[in-house]
Amino acid sequence: MEKIIEIADLTFHYPQQDSELLRQVNLTIHKGEWVALIGHNGSGKSTLARLIDGLLVPTTGTLKIGGTILSDASVWQIRKKIGMVFQNPDNQFVGANVEEDVAFGLENLAIPRAQMQVRVKEALQRVNMWEFREHEPARLSGGQKQRVALAGVIAMRPEIIILDEATSMLDPEGRKDVIKIIQELSQAGFTIISITHDINEASLAQRVVVLNDGQILQAATPQTVFARGEKLLAVGLDVPFSEKLKVALSRQGLHVPAGYLTEEGMIDWLCQSISKT
Amino acid sequence: MSIHFKNVNYIYQQATPFEQQALFDISLTIPSGSYTAIIGHTGSGKSTLLQHLNGLLKPTSGQITIEKQIITPTTKNKALSSLRKQVGIVFQFPEAQLFEETVLKDIAFGPKNFGSSEQEATQLARQMAHLVNLPEELLEKSPFELSGGQMRRVAIAGILAMEPQVLVLDEPTAGLDPRGRAEIMEIFQALRIKQHLTIILVTHQMDDVARYANHVIVLEKGRLLASGTPTEIFSDPDWLRTHHLALPQATRFASALQKKSGFEFSKMPLTEEELANQLVQQLGKRG
Amino acid sequence: MNKIILGRYIPGASFVHRLDPRSKLILSFFFIVVIFFANNVQSYLLLGVFTLFCVYLSKISLAFFIKGVRPLIWLILFTVVLQIFFTRGGQVYWQFGPFSVTHFGLVNGGFVFCRFVLIIFMSTLLTLTTAPLEIASALEALMLPLKKFKVPVYEISLMISIALRFVPTLMDETEKIMNAQRSRGVNFGEGSLIKQLKAVVPLLIPLFVGAFNRAEDLATAMEARGYRGGEGRTKYRVHFWKRRDTLSCVLFGLLTLLLLFLRNW
Repeated sequence: MEKIIEIADLTFHYPQQDSELLRQVNLTIHKGEWVALIGHNGSGKSTLARLIDGLLVPTTGTLKIGGTILSDASVWQIRKKIGMVFQNPDNQFVGANVEEDVAFGLENLAIPRAQMQVRVKEALQRVNMWEFREHEPARLSGGQKQRVALAGVIAMRPEIIILDEATSMLDPEGRKDVIKIIQELSQAGFTIISITHDINEASLAQRVVVLNDGQILQAATPQTVFARGEKLLAVGLDVPFSEKLKVALSRQGLHVPAGYLTEEGMIDWLCQSISKT
Repeated sequence: MSIHFKNVNYIYQQATPFEQQALFDISLTIPSGSYTAIIGHTGSGKSTLLQHLNGLLKPTSGQITIEKQIITPTTKNKALSSLRKQVGIVFQFPEAQLFEETVLKDIAFGPKNFGSSEQEATQLARQMAHLVNLPEELLEKSPFELSGGQMRRVAIAGILAMEPQVLVLDEPTAGLDPRGRAEIMEIFQALRIKQHLTIILVTHQMDDVARYANHVIVLEKGRLLASGTPTEIFSDPDWLRTHHLALPQATRFASALQKKSGFEFSKMPLTEEELANQLVQQLGKRG
Repeated sequence: MNKIILGRYIPGASFVHRLDPRSKLILSFFFIVVIFFANNVQSYLLLGVFTLFCVYLSKISLAFFIKGVRPLIWLILFTVVLQIFFTRGGQVYWQFGPFSVTHFGLVNGGFVFCRFVLIIFMSTLLTLTTAPLEIASALEALMLPLKKFKVPVYEISLMISIALRFVPTLMDETEKIMNAQRSRGVNFGEGSLIKQLKAVVPLLIPLFVGAFNRAEDLATAMEARGYRGGEGRTKYRVHFWKRRDTLSCVLFGLLTLLLLFLRNW
């Protein structure tokens, strides 16, 4: 598989501070992969995302995006390959209405107007916001604003989409809508990095990377990471319900199989148990 | 302190071209000492209702009784300020209200406004900081140097320091990480037991409703849709689905399990403990 | 805060809504200049009828416009009263020291009143039918010649448009913080002046801190989306001068001619 992001020995601290926010991070992400980046608040997740996009400059170490080493000279070229959606829906809405906001990134790339119109329409249709194209941000819900932000990213046709806690300030419906779009984008071949505390969002990824105090603690499939059970809280993730139930059952003296089970797996196991008895 | 709403209507910007009704004929009771959850979608009128609880808004028509105080459309604003001490509201993202030089001063701000002396207020502030698990060494720092989760707790301590009898929480855990969420919810639970507070919680987290609340109010488009105990409200998964409301995880799991085979739940479980209990019983009976 | 109509925008698809914002901006300004040429009943009547015709074309209820006058009513009445008392001439109805109410005074007062109302109606019409961003982009288009004099027109217009875009957000935030502080026992707008000033601190500091945080987030988001300054960007929003814009200009031209014919020389 083609490597799209290669991070080697990455360390970062702000010049005016001593404490390192990231230490010796090594990570390779492949093209088309969906990686969930988890960790408690302050573990360095957002810092890593900003480093990948060249919004921060590493103290030591190198980043390669699509084979190109990230540097002052290459940063604008590399940024074209990466789209980012941030946490606060209000603070990333630049345009005065929906379609202008989507066009903002294209204007920066000096895309001719005729082509812009095509791309804006396409992107807004993809996130189901085309009917809202003339709405100002004040008339949109948080979830709708995040969908517009995603459209802004899609319109720029990047290879990598980074979601920096993009769903954390949304209500359940808004969150569901955004996650559905991320799923569609992943299926369409975009490389996705989603920073999240949401167990459902993390379970959709192919790989979960756990950051703890600036270091990678674990990088494995969701199933392997979720097997941490109740210890997941310490690394900034909710405990999956099936794990909570397992704990409750074993407290009642029931023997439960080791290893992680999804909810469906748990239901199957319970059905088998009752038919056996 | 019990709270009664009687036929309360509220209209924003009444008699302007932008007039919009947010509450329609709401009648409800929040019993004294209860842990009441208010659920409903964004735009269901939850925030508008909250602002009536301490007189930030007065009903356009109808009447609200809080303990012995009656609030009607014509109640004078002056009469409402004592209410603000009795009903403390923690708004959504309350860290946005911090402004003082130090954490301690910020927590003491409320009690001072309600007439406590500097010394009393500072003492209260220390006590409340301790209650929300803020480390001692943070108290003399600027609130703006703290992490998001710590700022949240400073803001909550600021409301607790007013020593309200009713604590209103508007999505108090929004935007926190799961550990921070769990910690904060446990703080409220402990407070309720220790200080016999009435708690009113607005939330989208049905698991919190199932775990903590003993009374639930469901709003939809500004109208009261239902109210009752969590068991009553969550007993009918289909009804909840038609109103686009989520189920607690344990209830959802039980309902899926029931459909699949074998298990029967006479009473829908609300938490994993209740679920485990019923499962073990049923497995034991057969075995 | 919510009672102010001037500065609000009501989406729509009327003739006035669809006019090019540049022509709306120029014509509104032009109309305000023209008003000062009116000096008799006929000419004011002409302008009044014309304004009502424009309101009719916008398909927006007249109530909005009348509401728009309300916040300024005291200023208007004050000016009118000054006019009445200090204009001399014609028949004297009442006199006391330097004050007198004369025929000319009353007529002039009436004219001043009409002038105010017409100006407010027209500017309300502009803002009710033109989204703030349209006004900003029209300003940019009209300022473009200034680029020759090294004025950073693009940056200025982006600044204006972002500022306008954040007005509702910051108004919301103000209301939220006010509610939060009122819940902590602050009484805004009550007590002595010093008390009132003190009450503003818990409002202003969180507002500033919030605005700075927003600005920082926004700058990061803009950089992530490839913003490197105004040069070399293309524009999504362009203006098309249509037949109705030309028609409107002709209409205003005719109005001016008629007015010049009707006024007293």
